[in-house]
Amino acid sequence: MRRKYTLALLACLGLSTLPALADDSTEALARTCNNCHGVNGVSAGGAMPSLGGQSETYLKHIMMEWKTGERAAASMNRLIKGYSDEQIASLAKYFAAKPWVPIAQKASADVMARGKDVTDKCETCHGATGGQPDDETTPRLNGQSALFLHLELDKYRDEAFLMTHKKMIKSARKMDEKDVGIAAKFYGNQSK
Amino acid sequence: MSQINRRDFIKAIAAASSASVLTIPSAHAGQTKGRVVVVGGGYGGATAAKYLRMMDGGIDVTLIEANSTYTSCPLSNEVISGERDIKTLEVGYSGLKKHGVKVVHDWVTGVDTAKKVVSTKGGQTYAYDALILSPGVEFNYAAVEGYTEELANTSLPHAWKAGAQTLMLKKQLEAMPDGGKFIIAVPPGPFRCPPGPYERAAQVALYCKTHGKAKSKILILDSNDSFSKKALFEQAWKALYDGMIEWVPGASDGKVIKVDAKTKTCFTNFGDHKGDVVNIIPPHHAGKIARDMGLATFKTHWCEVKPESMEAKAQKDIYVIGDSCIGGDLAGNFGFPKSAHMAMTQAKVAAGAIIAKINNLPLPVPFYVNTCYSVVAPDWGFSVVHVYRVENNTWVYVKEASGISPVTMPDKSPVPRLYRKVEAEYADGWLRNVLADAYS
Repeated sequence: MRRKYTLALLACLGLSTLPALADDSTEALARTCNNCHGVNGVSAGGAMPSLGGQSETYLKHIMMEWKTGERAAASMNRLIKGYSDEQIASLAKYFAAKPWVPIAQKASADVMARGKDVTDKCETCHGATGGQPDDETTPRLNGQSALFLHLELDKYRDEAFLMTHKKMIKSARKMDEKDVGIAAKFYGNQSK
Repeated sequence: MSQINRRDFIKAIAAASSASVLTIPSAHAGQTKGRVVVVGGGYGGATAAKYLRMMDGGIDVTLIEANSTYTSCPLSNEVISGERDIKTLEVGYSGLKKHGVKVVHDWVTGVDTAKKVVSTKGGQTYAYDALILSPGVEFNYAAVEGYTEELANTSLPHAWKAGAQTLMLKKQLEAMPDGGKFIIAVPPGPFRCPPGPYERAAQVALYCKTHGKAKSKILILDSNDSFSKKALFEQAWKALYDGMIEWVPGASDGKVIKVDAKTKTCFTNFGDHKGDVVNIIPPHHAGKIARDMGLATFKTHWCEVKPESMEAKAQKDIYVIGDSCIGGDLAGNFGFPKSAHMAMTQAKVAAGAIIAKINNLPLPVPFYVNTCYSVVAPDWGFSVVHVYRVENNTWVYVKEASGISPVTMPDKSPVPRLYRKVEAEYADGWLRNVLADAYS
């Protein structure tokens, strides 16, 4: 991060900048993630999640689970096999060091009121707005793509889709079908 | 489904992709460290221009592109079926200008490689230290007797470059009666967007099925004997559009060699097929400028490049990216697919190599990734991915990381529908993100 600030400072002063880490192989590797997850891991939306600012442990864990086949995915489980364990570790570190940028998506007052209720149980681990995870293995949800969150809950609820987190599986399957989208929108709307 | 699903986006009128991408600040240095000219403002060229500026604000980058708006070819088959508004595929160049890219709307007519100067139709010249060519493809209309560029623009659209022809094909489909025949003629490979013709067949079938034209037929006349994601397409065609789509491989006389525009008849070596809508995709090769410069060293059609940098084998300091180049594991039959994602990956490798060279730094380790989604129905998509490493200046196709979505589960049970639904959503999420990564 310090290097970035130095760059920013130089830019502000109108001085010639250093090449932005062109020699850094992790930076070059991360550019392959940018196509779908955005520069600095800030997604431009749709079903693609933001990665920047999620914890290193969470990011590494989920990538390794896909790589070993413990956890199912539609596309990432294939792609991730192209990266070595060391590359996965350095990508997790790289994106974890970026700031978490919540993109607050619109939701009606009704959805927000109902969302507060239906996410009551989620709060224990994710915090009131989804932005205060209780440990390093728990992802941030605040301002994450609501469509992504909805699809993730669908995966947890589908017995045919191999997921690993027992508590999440149990909680997601207890939800009413109609509340799934509401919970996703509730967190997608959070700016903090 | 929630309110914020793909259909809302793809039907939306306002396509302005407002990606909030954080960027590394670029300095406007008093003195330029180097000048890079990028020719062509598709996915490849736009990405190269943006990343050059993001990586090093001291580099002067000029992008030369004829049009002021780019229309994404990926997912344009959904426009033909009416599932997507073409505006969601359109993007301008203001985002690149914010990165300090000088965008010039002109047409490159020549390159003096000795003096390192590009000249344009508009009479301008641009000096370069490094030149990136991302000119896309040039269509070889003469390869199909009776077909011309004029016909493509007026009555027999190929719609293999998204825009006006995409909309023309959509209109022709709308005018087709129930029980009509929609012919798609596929050129010999390699061609742009390998799964495109077969996705198009599915989108046409989707339109027919949902618009009271379920008796219609889609006939794919193919010059080739197999195709990308074949098992996935055939599975989906049967499940969703049973009996509507027929595929004729090259070995069964599928190759179209002649067309009669007046009677809308396609001729193969031994047969003829009359259609209500005829969609000829002509064979193509590297963009004109790249061929004119003698860079198309692969069978005079495609430009060979160096794996570590994307620099043309035939010319120093000229980098060829996107559909014009050829690379990957050709011996193993795992060449680079001609896709937007691949072009962007190549653009990032080229940009990294150029920045390293200008700054006397070691080359970054190149890494090539492709992702390509096909959408056969609003809740049914699938993908193919490719990963290539570079070892000993050669591309190595990473087999265990590559390949298509599952056709069945490992125990041969059917793939849960959620996989297909999720990938249909990913296709749209992919589009939003690649547009942002290349243009914002």
